Formats: sequence, C-alpha cells, structure tokens
Amino acid sequence: MSNKKNILELKNITVSFDGEKILDDISLSISDKEFVTLLGPSGCGKTTTLRIIAGFLEPDSGDVFFDGEIINSLPANKRNVNTIFQRYALFPHLNVYDNIAFGLKVKKVPKDEIKKRVKEMLKLVNLEGFEKRSIAKLSGGQQQRVAIARAVINKPKILLLDEPLAALDLKLRKDMQTELKNIQKQLGITFIFVTHDQEEALSMSDKVVVMNEGKIQHIGTPQDIYNEPVNAFVADFIGESNIIDGVMLDDFKVKIEGVTLQCLDKGFKTNEAVDVVIRPEDVDIVHPEKGLITGEVTSVTFLGVHFEIIVDVNGFKWMIQTTDESKVGDKVGLLIEPDAIHIMKKSKYSGLYGDYSSFSDEMDEISNPDVEIVSEED
Amino acid sequence: MKKSFLSKLINAPYILWSAIFIVVPLIIVAYFTFTNKNGSFSLENIYEIPDYTGIFLRSIIYALVATAITLVVSYPFAYFMSRTKVRTQSMMIMLVMLPMWMNLLIRTYSWTTILEKTGLINSFFGLFGLGPYNLIGTSGAVIVGMVYNYLPYMILPIYTSMSKIDKSYIEAAKDLGSSSFDSLKRVILPLTLPGIISGITMVFVPSVSTFYIADKLGSTKTLMIGDVIQKKFDIDVYSGIGASLSLVLMVIILICIVFMNRFSDSEDGGIIV
Repeated sequence: MSNKKNILELKNITVSFDGEKILDDISLSISDKEFVTLLGPSGCGKTTTLRIIAGFLEPDSGDVFFDGEIINSLPANKRNVNTIFQRYALFPHLNVYDNIAFGLKVKKVPKDEIKKRVKEMLKLVNLEGFEKRSIAKLSGGQQQRVAIARAVINKPKILLLDEPLAALDLKLRKDMQTELKNIQKQLGITFIFVTHDQEEALSMSDKVVVMNEGKIQHIGTPQDIYNEPVNAFVADFIGESNIIDGVMLDDFKVKIEGVTLQCLDKGFKTNEAVDVVIRPEDVDIVHPEKGLITGEVTSVTFLGVHFEIIVDVNGFKWMIQTTDESKVGDKVGLLIEPDAIHIMKKSKYSGLYGDYSSFSDEMDEISNPDVEIVSEED
Repeated sequence: MKKSFLSKLINAPYILWSAIFIVVPLIIVAYFTFTNKNGSFSLENIYEIPDYTGIFLRSIIYALVATAITLVVSYPFAYFMSRTKVRTQSMMIMLVMLPMWMNLLIRTYSWTTILEKTGLINSFFGLFGLGPYNLIGTSGAVIVGMVYNYLPYMILPIYTSMSKIDKSYIEAAKDLGSSSFDSLKRVILPLTLPGIISGITMVFVPSVSTFYIADKLGSTKTLMIGDVIQKKFDIDVYSGIGASLSLVLMVIILICIVFMNRFSDSEDGGIIV
C-alpha cells in the first residue's frame, strides 16, 4: 500500500518500444507541493515517465498511484493532472482567451465563471489585455505563459512540464525559472519538471531525479546530487567533475595518483577500488613543492569569473577552476581539502567520465559517422 | 516593388497562355451568348434560359447530395487513415488514387455493368429469387456515379489537413479533459476545416457541371445541365443557347467558389480548383 502523504507514486514501471526498454523498473515517490525535476540526457526516459504520469502511455508493468489509488489505465482526460508541452501545443485556431478557457469549456463551467477565472489566469502570467490576440502573433515567451495559464486554470493537483524553457533564449529562460518557481509557490501544487539542463534542475527543484538509459540513477536534493553523486554518470552530468580511480585504504583514507589523501568518507572495504570525485572549483593551484599532487598546465581559458585550467597529472587531465592565473607549461601543485573529496563505489559508468583529455561524448558523437543521433520524440 | 524587364519577359509566356486559352474562350462564349445566328446583338439566348431552370436546379441538388455523401464517407475514412502507420497510409492513398488513373468515361461505363438489369447486383439478388430491380436510369444511380468518381477529391484534401495536425494538439485536448468526441469537435474539426472546404469545392464544382455520368447511368428524367450543354454543341458547334447556359453555369460556379472561400480565411486554406 502506498503512503498517504505521497500524491504520486511510481512502482517498478517498465516500458518497452519495439523490444527496447525505454523505462527499466522506475520507482519514484512524489509528495504534495513538491517541485521535482526529472533530469537526464535525451533518450534517458524522462519524457516517457512524464507521459505515463499524464496518462498518454500505459506502463507494460508496474503501477502508478495517484493519491493512493492505482490509475494505470485511467485516460488522460480523467486525471487531475495537466501538462505544459514542449512546444506548448497551443491551439492555433483559437485566440489566447479561448485557449486558456478550453479546459473549463470542456467541463461545461458556466460562462461567467470562465470569464472570471481566465482573467485571474491572465493576471497570474502577466498577460492582461491579450485575450483577443491570435496565437500566431505571440512571442515564444508569451506562448509559454499562455500554456501555463491554460494548464493551471484547471486547478490540477500536479502540473507536468516537458522542457518548457528549452525554446526560450538564455535571459528569458532565467526569468521564467524564477517565475515558474513563484507560480508554483503561489498555487501550492506539485510540479514535475523535465529538463536536460542541469543548472535549471539545480536552481529550481526541491528534489532532482537523475535518469539515464531508462533507469533512475540518483534521487536527492540539488545539494545531495551535486555534493554526493552516487556514480560517475551523475557526477559528470551534474556540473563539471574530475573523476579519478582511487583505492580506499581505510576509513577516511584514499589513495589517488600514488598519494594518500584525507577524506570524510567511510564504510568501504579495505583496499576497495573506488571512483573519487573532485569538483574543479575545489582544487587549489599552489607551488609544486606545496602541492599534494603535481602536474603540468596544458591549457588555460579565461571565462570572466575564473580561469579554467587543464592540468596533466601522469596523463590524466584535471579541470581546475581558479581565479589565479597560470601559464601553459607551468609545473604546478594541486591542493585538495578533505571535504572536497567525494568517494563513490565503482559502477558501470566508471572510467567513462571525468577526464578532460577528450571532448564531451556529445562532441564525439557528432563527429562519428557510425552514431545515429536520435531525438527523444518518437 | 518595380518589376524588372527580365521578370516581365519571364512572365510573358504565361500571360500570353492565359490570354489565349482562358480569356479569349470566355469572350467567345459571351459573344455567342449575346448574338443570334446572323451575328447581330440579341438577347434571345438569354430569354431561353428560364426554360432550363428545372435542369439547373436538378444539377445543383444532385451535386449537393453527391458532395454531402462524399463528405460523410470521406471524413471518417481520412480520420482513420491518418491514424494508421505511415506505410499503411501511403498504401491506402495509392488505393484511393488508383481509379483516378483511369479515364472517367471508362469508370462510369463500368458502373452500367454493375447496375443494369442483367448486371452484377441484380444477378446477385437473382440468386435469392429477388429482383431484378430498376437500378440504372435512376437519380440514385447518377449520384452513385458522381460519388464514386469524385470521392478521391474529397478524401485527399481532408486527409492532407488531417495528417498535418500535430499530435500534441490532440494530446493537449485530452490533457485538458476532452473526451475523444470533444477533441474531434473542438480541435480536429476546426483544424481540418480548410481541407473540408477544399474537398467540398473540388467535388461540388465538377459534379454540378458534369456530363456523361447522368447520360450513361441516368435517364432523360435525370439529365444534368452538363449533358444538355454537351448535346447543344453536339448538334451545333455555334450554339447560342449552349453558350448562354455555359455562361450561367460558370456564374453559378464562381458564386459557389467565392462563397466557399469566405469560409476559409486562413492562409493555408487556399482552394485548388
């Protein structure tokens, strides 16, 4: 039986298309009024998860609970859930007013009440006076607002947002992040937000669900997933990280690059091989003699707030973000505080991420004629 | 924007073509309408038009009925076709278009072998000791002939506008609480309106002016205006009354197109005739 406080629960959801597993045993609990983000690269199953919650897709196995009741085969139009679609899907034959009023008209709400509620909605999304405007004459940002109004006017318990900010430019996206968060607080409803943008996920969410290859990799608060990623995939996907092979000598003692470092992690077997995550901003560059590890600077990029410096340590390239300038070819020492080290158990992602000697996977895929890049839309 | 000499030069053949094959024939039709046998101005051909009011009305009613039937048949067909797999869709489009590759006269003629006293349908009923029924020579047969011949012209534009609808609109409608019927009424129908209008025009216009179908499948009582005009010119190439009837028919069609165009004010709803 499911917990009363959870508005939504997914239990062991599996979905396959043409023999390919899109979702593999997904279990997730979402409590009322929570802002949850499903985060992952394209093809990770986040949109499929959203479609299961919306009711556009039935899971092959597993159960969906809404307020404690199984709703696996309840059609979308009978669910107390509304969606903001990726490209908004505003009805092109209706104006702003009729788009927003759509849900209420279907439910045969009296005209006066529709008028009143549409007005409230236009005020909520700052589009007063746009009632008669045709959809084609709205900017991306305005369409986005209409889409929000059209969804939340139905007073859903959960609002699903499928990469709603992807089509907006950077400045507007930042503003809309704040605005969405405010709307969520104002309405006091649950938001389930899908994105591939880790910054968006960190800045908006109460809870982030990191997904890859149809599986949930990590569920936690933004701080959790940034500071204590469970595996190399999560560490690499959320922010920048150096992921180094290490050996746990003892509690609080890890050996990397032949050097034993103090850390705050424990509970591993003696001499267990582990992945060690060190964030680029947590490494200090010092004089070679003062450093724990030494290496050679191979590239320096000025990024305004800081320099991004690549340091070659025995063939492994570290990324370091620092405000102190170095020159290419400099021999430097690296200083790492114990609280900057995070130890992860080895996983199937070990060794795939966290070395800055190559381009990103995406970049490699673009230049590889054998890889067909498939977008998430089916 | 001022047009360059070059663009004028490129346009010239098309303008010339339109002038010779559209404008000049229209002038000739008008000329024969308003002159008598001696070539002098006369309204005698106009005075004769009221004698044909009944045939005009019949043509319009037959065309309306045929258009209505094709619409009722085509819309659900196009709807379900657009819902099938892409490969099935192209297969079905081919099947819809297949009869169009055959000549209209042959297609219509084949219906006589189906409908006649010794035809397919009556032979079938004959097996049970029923009939033979009078199928050929009725207004029903004429309408069946038109529906059969013009069905693709209704299906294709509706299917085109149907398949252009983004699936997310239908999902959005569902998401906002619409039943399948609500989505059809509030989203699919309005979004396919340009296709419907285009289909209605493409079926009604050739139906109202059709000849041969009524001649072959109907009787003298079901004659349509197209047949009358054809017969007039058959007897006399310079038929004045044939010309005046053609002119009236063209005016009727023009009014109909203008009327239908007012319904489709959207940019992509242009009607192809």
